[in-house]
Amino acid sequence: MNDMVKMVVVLTVLSSVAGGVLAAVNKGTASQIEAQQLKFVKGPAINAILDGASNDPIKDRIQIADGAVERSFFVGKFDGKANTIAFEEFGKGFGGDIGVMVGVNIDSDKLVGAAVTVHTETPGLGAKAKDDPSLVSQFKGLPVTDSLTVTKDGGQINAISGATITSRAVCVAVTKAMNTYQKMKPQIQEEIQKVGK
Amino acid sequence: MPKTIVQEFTKGLWQELPPFRLVLGLCPVLGVTTSMENGLGMGIATTFVLVGSNLLISMLRSVIPQKVRIACFIIIIAAFVTIVELLMQAYTYPLYLKLGVFIPLIVVNCIVLGRAEAFAYKNKISSSMADGLGIGIGFTMSLGALGAVRELLGHGSVTVWGDFSYNLLSAFPSFQPFSFMVQAPGAFICLGLMLCLINAIGD
Amino acid sequence: MHSTLKLTVSHAPFWHNGSSISSKSRNILLASLLAVVPGCFQYGMAAVGVVAMSIASAILWELLINFISRRPISVGDGNAALIGMIFAMMLPATTPWWAVVTGTFFAVVIGKEIFGGIGANPFNPAVLAMTIVMLSWADLFDFNSALLNYQFDFNAVFPLVLSKAFGAHAVEPFALTDLLFGKQIGGIGSTYGIGLILGGVYLMFRGYIRWEISVSFLAGIFAAALGFNILNPELYAGPGFHLLTGYTLIGAFFLATEDSSSPVNFIPMLIYGVLGGALTVMIRNIGTHIDGVLYAVLIINLVNPLLDKIRPKAIGKGV
Repeated sequence: MNDMVKMVVVLTVLSSVAGGVLAAVNKGTASQIEAQQLKFVKGPAINAILDGASNDPIKDRIQIADGAVERSFFVGKFDGKANTIAFEEFGKGFGGDIGVMVGVNIDSDKLVGAAVTVHTETPGLGAKAKDDPSLVSQFKGLPVTDSLTVTKDGGQINAISGATITSRAVCVAVTKAMNTYQKMKPQIQEEIQKVGK
Repeated sequence: MPKTIVQEFTKGLWQELPPFRLVLGLCPVLGVTTSMENGLGMGIATTFVLVGSNLLISMLRSVIPQKVRIACFIIIIAAFVTIVELLMQAYTYPLYLKLGVFIPLIVVNCIVLGRAEAFAYKNKISSSMADGLGIGIGFTMSLGALGAVRELLGHGSVTVWGDFSYNLLSAFPSFQPFSFMVQAPGAFICLGLMLCLINAIGD
Repeated sequence: MHSTLKLTVSHAPFWHNGSSISSKSRNILLASLLAVVPGCFQYGMAAVGVVAMSIASAILWELLINFISRRPISVGDGNAALIGMIFAMMLPATTPWWAVVTGTFFAVVIGKEIFGGIGANPFNPAVLAMTIVMLSWADLFDFNSALLNYQFDFNAVFPLVLSKAFGAHAVEPFALTDLLFGKQIGGIGSTYGIGLILGGVYLMFRGYIRWEISVSFLAGIFAAALGFNILNPELYAGPGFHLLTGYTLIGAFFLATEDSSSPVNFIPMLIYGVLGGALTVMIRNIGTHIDGVLYAVLIINLVNPLLDKIRPKAIGKGV
C-alpha cells in the first residue's frame, strides 16, 4: 500500500512540476515567438501582398477586438495614403489549419492579393499552395462580396491539381476573411486614420 | 571496474557513438540530415535534452519508484523537449521550421530513453552528466558528418549558419550535384556506407 | 495420393553438362550484342565508348569490392561485365564518363555485392543503378536533349514524351516497322527492337531466360495498353506503340528476367510478368514518369519473394 501511495505521489508531483515549468517557459517565450513568427512566417507573406508600400506594415499594425479575440491588421501605405490592410484567416486543410494572409484595398473593396502563411499539407501536393503562385494569384482583384469556391464545386477558382482539399481550404479562408472584413470595416476605417497620420 | 568521469564522457565519442556504433536513434539521423546545418541543430537539441534528463533522472533515482519509472522518465524527457521546442521557436525560428516535427519526436528517440533507463537511473549525478554530454556530442558529430556528406554530394556545397561554407563546384567546376543523396533512399545508402567505413576502422 | 510420375535416378558418377555462370553470362552478352551493335552504328564511337566504359568500370568495381571484402575474385564469372553491358544498353550515347562510373558503382556494389554477391540481389542491379542516376541527373538522361546534336533520317523525338504530352495521334507518324528497326531515339541498346527480340528468342531456346516471364511481360503490356486505348483512343496510344518504344523490349528480355530477382515457378512467373507489363503501361499513361519499365521492374522485383510463396506442396509435409 505504501508503494502505491509513493507511486501516485511521485507521478503527481513530477507532472505538476513539469507542467508548472512548461507554463513558465511558455509565458516567458510567448512574445519572442510571436515576434519571430511575424518576422519569418507572416513577414514574407505580408511583404508579398503589400509590395511597394512606403511604410513597414509589420510595425504599423492595428489591433481590433473581434468579439473575444484580438485581430491584427497590417496596414500598408500607398501614395502616402493608408488604404490597404492585410490580415490572416484560417481554413481547414488536409493536414490541419491553413493560414492565409489576405490583402484588401479599403477604397475599392477589392482583394489585392493572398498568400499562404502556415500549413501542414503533404509535401509535393498540398504544400504547393505556399510556393506555387498559380492558386493565390487568382484572388487578386476580386471584389470582397464574392463567395469563392473551386471550379469542381461550381466556383471560379482553379484548384492545384492533386490538391483539391487544400485549394478548397484556401478558398474558405479567403471567403472568411472577406466576411470578417465586411463586418469590421467601420472599426478598421476608424483605426486606420491613426496610422495615416 | 568503475569508469572515471572522463571515460564516461569519451565513450560516447567513439566506442558507443550512437547512430554508428549503437545504431540507435535512426529516425532523426535519416530524416533531418539533408544538410549539415539541420544535422548539427538537431544534435544540439538532443544533447540538451539528454544532459537535462540524465541529470534530473540521476538526481531523482532514489525517489522514482521502480514500477512507474518509464512514466516518470517520459514526463521528464517530454518536459525538456517542450522547453527546447519553445526555445528554438523563440530564438532560432528558421531552424525550427526546417526541423519541424522531428523536434517533438526527440521524446521517443530511443537514445534519450535508453540512456535514462540504462545509465542515469543507476549511476551518480556526475557520471550521468558526463555520459549524457558524451553521447550527445557524439550524436551531434555523427549527424553533422552525415549531413555534411549528403549536402556536399547532393547540393555541391555546404553552408552552416552562413558563417562557414565550402563549395565543391569551385574545386571541381564540372561537378554536377548528385541529388539522389539528399533524397530519402540516399540517406539509407549514405548511412550504410558510413557505418561500413566506421566498422572497418574498428576500435 | 500416389503420383504417377516416374523419375529415374541413377548412381554417380554424373556428367556435368557444361553449363556454368560464366557460360550463361557469355551467352546473354552475345545476345545483347544483337541490339548493341546496331546501336553503336547509329550513334557512332560515343556509344562504343559508353559501352566500353560501363563494362570496364563494372568489372573494376567488382574487383575492388572483392579485395575490400576479402572474398574470392569473382570477375571471371562474367556477371559484372553483363551488368555493365545491360546498364550501358539503357544509357543515351552522350552519357558523361562520371555518370557511367557512378552508375556501375551503384549497380555492382550497392545493387549486388552488398547483398552478398551473385544470386543474392533482391533487385536487378542495372535497373536499380539506372533509376538512381536518372533521379539524380534527369537532364542527362532526357533522350530529347541528350541526343540533340545527332542528325537522324527519322523523327528525333523520344516517342513516349510525345504520347505523354500530346496524346495518341501525336505518335501516329511512327510506323510500327520503323520502331521495330530502331528508327527512334533511346538508349544505346534499347531501340533496335528486332535485335532485342532475336536475342531474347535465342536466350529462351538455350534456356538462359524463362520464356514465361518475357511473354507474360509483353502480354501484360499489350493487355493494359489495349484497355487504355479502348477507354480513350484520343489520349492513350495503342498496344503496338507501347510494345516497341522505350525500354519495353529490353525490359521484357533482359531486365525482368534477371535470375535472382525473378520467380522460379510457372504461375508466379506469369503473375510477375503480367504485373510488370501492366504497371509499365499504367506508369506511362497515368503516372508522372515518362517511361515506366524501370519502376515496374523494381516493383515486381519487390513482389518476387511473395510470389515465390506460391509453390507446389512438398511431399510428406502436413497441411
